[in-house]
Amino acid sequence: MTLFKNLSILIICLIVDSSHSKTWICSNSICLKEPISTFDHITYKSQNECRLSCGKFGALWPHPTGYTSISNDRIKFDPYMIRANIIATSYETNKFTGDINKLFQANIANECNNNCSIAKSPPVFLKLSINSNSLELNWHTNESYVLLIRGSDNNIFIDVKSETVFGARHALETLSNLITKNVEGNGLVMVGHANISDQPQFSHRGLLIDTSRHFLPVNIIKSIIIGMSISKMNVLHWHVTDSQSFPMEFPSVPMLHTFGSYSQNEIYTHKDVKHIIELAKVRGVRVIIEIDGPSHSSSGWEWGPNYGLGNLSVCINKQPWREFCIQPPCGIINPLNPNVYDVFEKVYQDLIELIPTEETTHVGGDEVFIPCWNTTEEITQIMKKRGLGLTESSFLKIWSEFHLKNFNTWSKLKTNHVPVILWSSQLTNPEFIESFLPKEKFIVQTWVESDKKLNSDLLNLGYKLIISTKNAWYLDHGFWGKTKFYNWNTVYDNEINNHELVLGGEVCMWGEYVDEHSIEQKIWPRAAAAAERLWSNPSTKSGLAEERFNRLRERLISRGIHPDAITPKWCELNEGQCK
Amino acid sequence: MVKQISITEENTDKAESKFRYLLKMALTVSLRKFLFLLLSITAFIVFVFYWSQTTLKPPSIITTFENSLKTRVNQDHFSIPTEKTWTYKCESDKCVRYHYLTETNGEKRVPFMTCSMTCGDVNVWPHPTRRVGVLSSSLKFSVESLQLKMSTSFHEVDRLYRKSFHVFLRELKQIQKIEFFDHAKVAENERQSFNPEDKVKPSKCVKSHCDIINFIVEVHVLKSGNVHIDLETDESYNLTSTLDNNNMVAKITANTFFGARHGLSTLQQLIWYDEEDDLLRILSRFVINDAPKFKYRGLMLDTSRNYFSVDSIKRTLAGMSYAKLNRFHWHLTDSQSFPFVSKYYPELAAYGAYSDRETYTHEDVQEVVEYAKIRGIQVIPEIDAPAHAGNGWEWGPKKGLGDLSLCINQQPWKFYCGEPPCGQLNPKNNNTYLILQKLYEELLNLTGPTDYFHLGGDEVNLECWGQYFNETDLRGLWCDFMLQVMNRLKIANKNVMPKFVGVWSSGLTSTRCLPKSQVAVQVWGGSTWTENYDLIENGFNVIISHVDAWYLDCGFGSWRQTGDAACSPYRTWQNVYKHKPWEKMRLDGMRKKQVLGGEVCLWTEQVDENGLDNRLWPRTAALGERLWTDPDDDNSLDPIPREVFIRMSVFRNRLVELGLKAEPMFPKYCQQNPGECE
Repeated sequence: MTLFKNLSILIICLIVDSSHSKTWICSNSICLKEPISTFDHITYKSQNECRLSCGKFGALWPHPTGYTSISNDRIKFDPYMIRANIIATSYETNKFTGDINKLFQANIANECNNNCSIAKSPPVFLKLSINSNSLELNWHTNESYVLLIRGSDNNIFIDVKSETVFGARHALETLSNLITKNVEGNGLVMVGHANISDQPQFSHRGLLIDTSRHFLPVNIIKSIIIGMSISKMNVLHWHVTDSQSFPMEFPSVPMLHTFGSYSQNEIYTHKDVKHIIELAKVRGVRVIIEIDGPSHSSSGWEWGPNYGLGNLSVCINKQPWREFCIQPPCGIINPLNPNVYDVFEKVYQDLIELIPTEETTHVGGDEVFIPCWNTTEEITQIMKKRGLGLTESSFLKIWSEFHLKNFNTWSKLKTNHVPVILWSSQLTNPEFIESFLPKEKFIVQTWVESDKKLNSDLLNLGYKLIISTKNAWYLDHGFWGKTKFYNWNTVYDNEINNHELVLGGEVCMWGEYVDEHSIEQKIWPRAAAAAERLWSNPSTKSGLAEERFNRLRERLISRGIHPDAITPKWCELNEGQCK
Repeated sequence: MVKQISITEENTDKAESKFRYLLKMALTVSLRKFLFLLLSITAFIVFVFYWSQTTLKPPSIITTFENSLKTRVNQDHFSIPTEKTWTYKCESDKCVRYHYLTETNGEKRVPFMTCSMTCGDVNVWPHPTRRVGVLSSSLKFSVESLQLKMSTSFHEVDRLYRKSFHVFLRELKQIQKIEFFDHAKVAENERQSFNPEDKVKPSKCVKSHCDIINFIVEVHVLKSGNVHIDLETDESYNLTSTLDNNNMVAKITANTFFGARHGLSTLQQLIWYDEEDDLLRILSRFVINDAPKFKYRGLMLDTSRNYFSVDSIKRTLAGMSYAKLNRFHWHLTDSQSFPFVSKYYPELAAYGAYSDRETYTHEDVQEVVEYAKIRGIQVIPEIDAPAHAGNGWEWGPKKGLGDLSLCINQQPWKFYCGEPPCGQLNPKNNNTYLILQKLYEELLNLTGPTDYFHLGGDEVNLECWGQYFNETDLRGLWCDFMLQVMNRLKIANKNVMPKFVGVWSSGLTSTRCLPKSQVAVQVWGGSTWTENYDLIENGFNVIISHVDAWYLDCGFGSWRQTGDAACSPYRTWQNVYKHKPWEKMRLDGMRKKQVLGGEVCLWTEQVDENGLDNRLWPRTAALGERLWTDPDDDNSLDPIPREVFIRMSVFRNRLVELGLKAEPMFPKYCQQNPGECE
């Protein structure tokens, strides 16, 4: 059988070789198959080799924002011949840079056709100079870098200069985009010369995953982080909990996951979380953990009465659910039960132990369904005692007090006063947000449609924003209700407010209709389209990015991700022919 | 829940009596101090009380839980995690979830599947049509207890059924988490003929563990020795059980191999894994009499826009067999690529395949056909013509055969075809017909005798041909082409015209060109288009693939920079399930007979192997029940009944359990709490 297949492949090869052996040329930013080499164009041996320098940005994704030049010459080399020289100011940054260099070398080795080794490879001298000894990754991190390649058949010199290790990591990611497999045999091919200086337009380039609606195994989260690092995304917003399940272990309050997880196999232990944070960091990605509240809190919060703590959450699993919440199962934290705040204090204690010092948290805070609180006697009674009418504004008041109390706990434990993030909601209404949520304590993640005024209103008030445009960056849309699917073009073309208070944006992969079996195809390659919007903020539309995007998708596959297809393969092979 | 509330009330009673006692004692103490003291004492007492409760021991709960955490087994292969946290009770025909560690008095835990299978209606997908009687109790056994007792006078049926039974055993081994199998490896074994000496191992079950020690599947195939399904095939079966001490007999009676195989498929769905016992369970008694409502229950996959490996095709066939679908319509070629390696004309794939690896050799097709056959599925290959044929056909002039196809990759494509790249066969080149004839011959040899063969035949662009031919009647040219290839099909099929020749609905099928007695039209237009009525009125047999219900590729936006998304939005499994055109069209008995069945279509402009499973499943299963059972108790505006959600959810899990990456229907919470998310 194998013999037969090989034989027929051989026959095909013979026919193809004798009749239409092809070379590639770059013409008007498009790589074309040419039956014979033409005099007025440089020829390449494969489409990928052509793509490396075809068009202003070749195969780079996301495209650099500073000076970019890529030469048309190519040099074959053996990736094992790379000699890295790391010039860093501390042992820690030196070691960290060593780790990211190891990942880089493994990544490019994945591109090799069969064998990476070639006999006559020029030595590759990779010099990485890092100025700062900070390993902090947050909105203030300088992610810029300069990358210089000067090569000949005798030797290749690669110079990377960056302020931080994360800039150096991005430089190596860019470098991997200037390398492809050698179709003629073993080893790899690199562009002969390049000069690139680059820095992101937004410091928050995120992807949200939801592990409550469905549990996602650690290895799936790892592969998502790998996918993010390929296009220089830097924030994994981990929506850990929701009403459906509470899958994270907090050792000080084990009841949360004991009651709240789908099963004993569907839990993130303290060790798992630490592991995820570490593997993310070496890929330039921060992990921001969100324990949602006061709404979206049912599973995991039901044990209060059994342990003498009263109702930590109310309306739990109440039916008919449409009267008490937006999505089953119902459950909203009881903000007037003081024990709730002890639980949160313990949760924050455990959380702060896990995350880096400079890191913040997301406190959730959306979609409080007031009829639930309004029909819960233990809440309405206390409100009446406090002289609060059962009006919407009173409920908003107790809701905001919940966030303020928790923030106080948070900053008491955390000492370095980082603001926290919360979702836009009735509370963030520009008319009264200032009376509820101080701007130095809360950053708002908005999730409204692109035509809404909320973003500009909040910016005018001086709030910092993270934008998740609901009608472009909600990756779960298109499969339920009246929602529409946003293809990669829509994701790419979604411009967000270019304002100094806009930290960046996030694409959101809500988990109601995806689990480990389908999440990769829903996220990829679309999230990468948002990555270029956030890194480069291009003034051009997606149409001009198509060829680079196809190459990006291929790169995802070579690193073990399973993205959805976006076009017939014929269109990838025949650039510009399917417009 | 009820239990939990009663415990709490009991506590409050005790707490109150303490309260009164303390009140008497504390008359001399200042009120504020007293209240504080009281509060702490009450809290303490309540706490101590809880600790002393036999059913509520917080530290031990946590410890138990932590221990189960530590002993987390590596379940990489088996996709369904065990869920020791919960136990289930059947309450008014649905399973209700309880927290096992706190809400039970040391009762044995009932896993979700054990509850689901014994609660409410029989949990089989698609639902049997004629008669179902089951006892809602279950018996434990292990897969080694199973034996086949085959009784048929047809040698071929006997041979094939043994293979089907082999697959059945392997899948049960996977369900019982004994052995994980890889769809690719299964085929290797299936190609070797089943060795009757290869007896199943003696069961490890001892009486104290298992309720069934010997489990005999007794199969009678009575009337037909035909192992090639056609539109006459009787797929009905009877499945009954008898139990005598520890001996179970499941008796499957059918007229054909195909009926008997469906019986096995149903039997498999009466069996599940109980993680508490680490054994399989089966309903203790069942009587099922079942037959499909429609004969043609298909799935179409396009392997030209993007390539799909043989392994992924096999996985798809496995899924089809669980949902009792019986036709795999293989849209092998289109204008983008030609992956089929013909023995007569290897140039087609040499020029047309995306790469030398992205091809289907004869051996590959054979492997797919055999794999399908064991699962009761017929493979129907389609070489689309005359349109949708470009890449792969460009070598004619070089080999002295003239232009085999015209307008290949011509631009601007919008003038000459429906989507890039263009390409349409040359209707005036005899070599084109000869090549098609040879391709048909090869494919028919590979797939075996059939009464249905698909010729494609849609979306001809007359502008393309108009550039070359000075005819006034280009549509006539199209008609002639189709009649000519029908003739070639007859020659290729040993001079016998298959009873039905399939073509896609098009402008041509609304004319008087094609003979209604020989042609079955696959209707892919909108379900409200008049062509639906016209085709029926004109006497054509039809296979329904309405774009607005059964196109699984829709909903992903436009894949080109220009133009709108062709067929958004996405069709949910509910859309697929609720589509019932024969009722909407009010077809009477005679006319309904012209509807041979239906087919879901997966065109692959925007999907490749990475997303195959989750595009197909569980939506294809929804079609399975629509065509097999055609449940008639629902109004098109009503929501889908809870019972259907429950069965669908279990079936989806069965798919995942057997290695298909089916999409979830809702948050896992809703799966664990049937009825709570309506």
